[in-house]
Amino acid sequence: MIEFIEPFLLPVIVAPLFALILIALFFGALLGFAAQKFKVSTNPLVDQINTLLPQTQCAQCGYPGCKPYAEAINSGAAINLCPPGGEDTIIQLANLLNLEPIPLNQEPGKEALPKVAIIREEECIGCTFCIQACPVDAIVGAAQQMHSVIASECTGCELCEAPCPVDCIDFIPLEIAPLKTLPEKSLSEQACIRCGLCVDACPVDLLPQQLFWFAQGKAYDKAKDHRLMDCIECGLCHAVCPSHIPLVQYYQAAKIAIHDQDAKHHQAHEIKQRFDYREQRLEKDKALAEQRRQARAELAQAKVKQSDLIQAALERAKSKQASTQGTQNGS
Amino acid sequence: MSAIIILLISAILVNNFVLVQFLGLCPFMGSSNKIETAIGMSAATTFVLTLASMVSYLVYQYLLIPLDIAWLRTIAFIVVIAALVNFTEILMLKTSPLLHKVLGIFLPLITTNCAVLGVALLNINAGNSFVESAFYGFGAALGFSLVLILFAALREKLNLADIPAPFQGASIAMITAALMSLAFMGFTGLV
Repeated sequence: MIEFIEPFLLPVIVAPLFALILIALFFGALLGFAAQKFKVSTNPLVDQINTLLPQTQCAQCGYPGCKPYAEAINSGAAINLCPPGGEDTIIQLANLLNLEPIPLNQEPGKEALPKVAIIREEECIGCTFCIQACPVDAIVGAAQQMHSVIASECTGCELCEAPCPVDCIDFIPLEIAPLKTLPEKSLSEQACIRCGLCVDACPVDLLPQQLFWFAQGKAYDKAKDHRLMDCIECGLCHAVCPSHIPLVQYYQAAKIAIHDQDAKHHQAHEIKQRFDYREQRLEKDKALAEQRRQARAELAQAKVKQSDLIQAALERAKSKQASTQGTQNGS
Repeated sequence: MSAIIILLISAILVNNFVLVQFLGLCPFMGSSNKIETAIGMSAATTFVLTLASMVSYLVYQYLLIPLDIAWLRTIAFIVVIAALVNFTEILMLKTSPLLHKVLGIFLPLITTNCAVLGVALLNINAGNSFVESAFYGFGAALGFSLVLILFAALREKLNLADIPAPFQGASIAMITAALMSLAFMGFTGLV
């Protein structure tokens, strides 16, 4: 093959090949070594995503629960599939993963309002199907006994609706007091000119003008970092503001939103605990059932052996009898 | 020693890679939404840039020159940079999976980042020695980190500001970058 190439071209082809192969071999070995040395076994990111999900375990996202959905997000699934979490969850996920927030993916007219399951107790036949379906053990009752929902633990996931044979479960919307929203811009309110008068006025040494931007832009984490929660709402910043901005109203709205967010996180944490306990219990039940089944099987086997022994002894006795009878007859 | 300090200052401020030479603009615009992300990106780029300028010097001087194939330098440098970026990616997945996820496509894109290839090629053109190459690469990386983090801080403020509707998003970012570039042009003649 080499004789087809002009001799003066030879170094032009061989030298680059040699050089590139050398470089590739060296770095290939380096990367192979690195991949072995810094092997990653578990991905802690899934847990971080999981804590942001509302833990209703409702499977409305198309995955069997919150943990599987967190794993799916980690490997590239959309972040807008969680109706119970709503817009808040989408924004938090987008912040964590540095993505653009996208609107919630759901059928139009089917807004996910927080709701709670109620059993029409006079119609309940005590079949326990809904108790088995509830992912957070929020339904109490026993076979042939009336069931009821513990309203404070119910996540409104609707998983109990389908198994109920007599359709006695209703979902009623939860009454939630509307959050205090940002104040309407009044005619006297002008844009902030960053004069800094409010900073001098603040008796607890906060930065009212910064907090105002954070409250307006809903950057609650940063507002907390700048100690929004220490604001005593005295109103001095508002009083000195030459632009007549009702600063305290902004702070109040932000504080309420932060409390609401914290409460939701706390609730999600509690629901997750109940879900985890249930999973543990189911696993234990399964293990116990397996143990009992094995014990029964062993017992049955032992019985079979015993009956085999008896049978054999009977046969031996019979044959012995027969042979002695035979000899007696023959004699 | 003073020569190296001058080299560093010129790479960081006077000939800043992003704002004066307009190299590496893709991660500059793409991964500057949050300061944490920008710091992570800066660390990754600094690592790759410094190592790449050293390794590419060695490859050029001791492999390409003796074999008389200096014209192959672009391809050879790309291979070197790609390998280093891969190495960084493996390291990052181990040390900070969240950062790995957040940087996403911009991490492998360091491979084709013109700042990284630019440093390697500019080193050859300027005839820098090994130590000079290393410091030039490090200085370029510091300059990149400086403007990336400054820009990210500005953009965090911009996210909360009252911006007129036509200027929201990318356009105000472009304008901010242009103003920063003007400011950095002011360093001309410092060294």
